[in-house]
Amino acid sequence: MAVTAVHQLAQCITCHAWSADRSMVALCPNNSEVHIYRLVEDKWEKMHVLQKHDQLISGIDWSARSNKIVTASHDRNSYVWNLEGSEWVPTLVILRLNRAALCVQWSPKENKFAVGSGAKTVCICYYEQENNWWVSKLIRKRHDSSVTSVSWHPDNILVASTSTDGKCRIFSTFIKGVDAKDPKKESRFGELIVQLDLSPSWTFGVKWSPSGNTLAYVGHNSVIYFVDDVGPSPLAQNVVFRDLPLRDVLFVSEKMVIGVGYDCIPMVFAADERGIWSFIRYLGERKAVSSGSRYGSQFSEAFGKFYGQAKQGVSNDASETSRTRGVVHENCINSIIPLSRQGTQIRRFSTSGLDGKLVMWDLETEQDLLELLVH
Amino acid sequence: MASTLRPYLTCIRNTLDAAMCLQNFPCQEVERHNKPEIELKSSPELLLNPVLICRNESEKCLIETSINSLRISLKVKQADELENILTKKFLRFLSMRAEAFQVLRRKPVQGYDISFLITNYHCEEMQKHKLIDFIVQFMEDIDKEISELKMSVNTRGRLVATEFLKQFI
Repeated sequence: MAVTAVHQLAQCITCHAWSADRSMVALCPNNSEVHIYRLVEDKWEKMHVLQKHDQLISGIDWSARSNKIVTASHDRNSYVWNLEGSEWVPTLVILRLNRAALCVQWSPKENKFAVGSGAKTVCICYYEQENNWWVSKLIRKRHDSSVTSVSWHPDNILVASTSTDGKCRIFSTFIKGVDAKDPKKESRFGELIVQLDLSPSWTFGVKWSPSGNTLAYVGHNSVIYFVDDVGPSPLAQNVVFRDLPLRDVLFVSEKMVIGVGYDCIPMVFAADERGIWSFIRYLGERKAVSSGSRYGSQFSEAFGKFYGQAKQGVSNDASETSRTRGVVHENCINSIIPLSRQGTQIRRFSTSGLDGKLVMWDLETEQDLLELLVH
Repeated sequence: MASTLRPYLTCIRNTLDAAMCLQNFPCQEVERHNKPEIELKSSPELLLNPVLICRNESEKCLIETSINSLRISLKVKQADELENILTKKFLRFLSMRAEAFQVLRRKPVQGYDISFLITNYHCEEMQKHKLIDFIVQFMEDIDKEISELKMSVNTRGRLVATEFLKQFI
């Protein structure tokens, strides 16, 4: 099985982030605190509780090299936590937002971070050495609705953001003094590079591929969108899948994406040699779910009526969902975070959900997926 | 009548399965607030298309979804005046005790008999399939309850009338 470990750490986990050596995990148990757990001899011990926010913490990110934790909350604030000795010391970041912060991510070089908010804007924060504090710059161009997710391009300049208005927008966040000037790409701060209007419904979970060539995000209409060659003439594809919508995605390699969402099982998507993306299978199941199960339930309905087993038929139909497929998560999966990296490929990742479980997955046991990965 | 009940309930169950994909979403209009968007209807982009499932002219179910909340309104079959009164009184009894049910709405939506309001908090605390089972079970039980009440009213009426008229024999 692809699942290596299942940990019940809270009643409900909103978001989580791993430390650089993957020995500690910071998570929000659906309240205004951040709990940091350390794995001590197979048991999870709560090492720190970070209490500074007033409302639900919607995003946590732990930078790998500088060992800083950034948290963003519904109370419009964001804190950067530094480990000093054995205590985590918060530094307030004045985001200048007048609505909740919904998502946060460190840039690849960890000198900036992006915050998406319910104020329909994206906020980019960077550290100002002279005043010893984090300054925020708002991207003036507004979305039409709340920004649900942000993701940094590997070049540390471009940021993609998705919103509940169905659009994905890519902005340049070039800041003089923080970013090195690139003679090839002249861009001003807050310049809208591309606006992708592919989804009629809310969009979530945007991620860039390791090379930055492909972008993937999900729509609430049970579609996942892949955009290749992001630039003046992008090539977009969408893959419609049968079941409930996804919430977040992760690029495991340049050609494979894992999506997680309301179905409670991760879904694997891959691109073939021609670059056409398609759904491969669910993780934790040997073969793809046959599409005949829906029709099967109608037939069992008819038989049920004949033999007076209609009641049983309904309950069978109800259980003919992800529960019978041997799932690990019992409720919606919120986020998927990479655990280990081999070059540009990710073999292990973790998922957390509304059921309070933190599950570790390993692709080493999935032979057919490994073959696709190596391709 | 039973022949249309099963497909009606299956249809509602499948629709609820798709509609109950709720997530925590802070209010866009007021800072630091978190409100069920389906009740507020302040941002049209956060609402999905409502679905109306009709069994016949007198029985229907309206499912309205938004990003963090879902409203289910039911119209129960009322064949005659007596059922009309019984339904109104019985559902009013339940609605007044909405706290105990957690997902029940205190007042039904205009044009319907009873309404449920399910928010993302309910989905976090309780399991989605159990919530859907509850709603579908509720719909089945309502019909049974109303017919039982009607039968008991008729039986009681007959008994009372018989006793009363005995004195005139």
